[in-house]
Amino acid sequence: MIEVALIGNPNVGKSLLFNDLTGGKAHVGNWPGKTVEKKEGICRYKGEEIKIVDLPGTYSLTAHSIDELIARDYIVKEKPDVVIDIVDASNLERNLYLTLQLLELEANVVIALNKYDIAKSLGYRIDVDELSRILGVRVIPTVATTKEGIDKLLEAVLEAAREKKRRKVTIGYGKAAEKLISRVERTILKDKDLSSRYPTRWLAIKILEGDEEILKEVEKSRFRNEILEVIK
Amino acid sequence: MRMPLAMLNEKEEATVVEVKGGKGLVRRLSELGLTPGTKVKILFSNSPGPAVIDVRGSKIALGRGLLMKIFVKPEAETY
Repeated sequence: MIEVALIGNPNVGKSLLFNDLTGGKAHVGNWPGKTVEKKEGICRYKGEEIKIVDLPGTYSLTAHSIDELIARDYIVKEKPDVVIDIVDASNLERNLYLTLQLLELEANVVIALNKYDIAKSLGYRIDVDELSRILGVRVIPTVATTKEGIDKLLEAVLEAAREKKRRKVTIGYGKAAEKLISRVERTILKDKDLSSRYPTRWLAIKILEGDEEILKEVEKSRFRNEILEVIK
Repeated sequence: MRMPLAMLNEKEEATVVEVKGGKGLVRRLSELGLTPGTKVKILFSNSPGPAVIDVRGSKIALGRGLLMKIFVKPEAETY
């Protein structure tokens, strides 16, 4: 069975897409924080059974709120085969921030470019192929309200699940930061347990950011002094 | 002329110049799309309480304290 997580900013049509995929009868509404509980469904496509998990709507994957932590922990710890990142095509710039964080987390991302009809009616012209090339992931335009693009999305999910290739694109932070990142990364690699559980580059960035949850995790490491030496 | 976003009235538009706050606040607001150069509009202001603002096509509600930390350049410049 393929395990797929749905993630996206609030109000991108995540719950609606969830229902499209699972045929679920869950009510689609707009209550803030509605999807903090875990919602799961099964989708059958071309003989494959796909388990769909709906994650809370979030703007980023820092450790600010319980919603973000749930989403992040799920992706880091449960390691779903594919993560469908639902992006509001009519609000691309803000939405892509989360996308970059997912790529940094080395999740196996497929982008659903949702609300594509609204973007079109606003006069936006999105070069889908170029977006896909820049981000190194599949990008599928969808309209969740009319189920447009859902089959193509599932097709892309199956392809991505078969490949299992991770991180084709690395986001650079400039010379000075990169030097620190690789220094921290080298010390992380000494701890086999830590480096097997998390993407090391992501971990290094989070340590430099001072992410509380991650620092707690590093405290448990035998090499904590060495790892934390860099940020002193 | 720059002023806190809190000083704007309903229906007024402005461009974000700077967020005066700690690392966490600046990051949180940029996640929501409030970065320097972004156009914002006050949709509803319950002065001296919270306000609803339009940021990149999304409505977000912010408290007065936060609004005081977001410095903007009002759209209708009268100077």
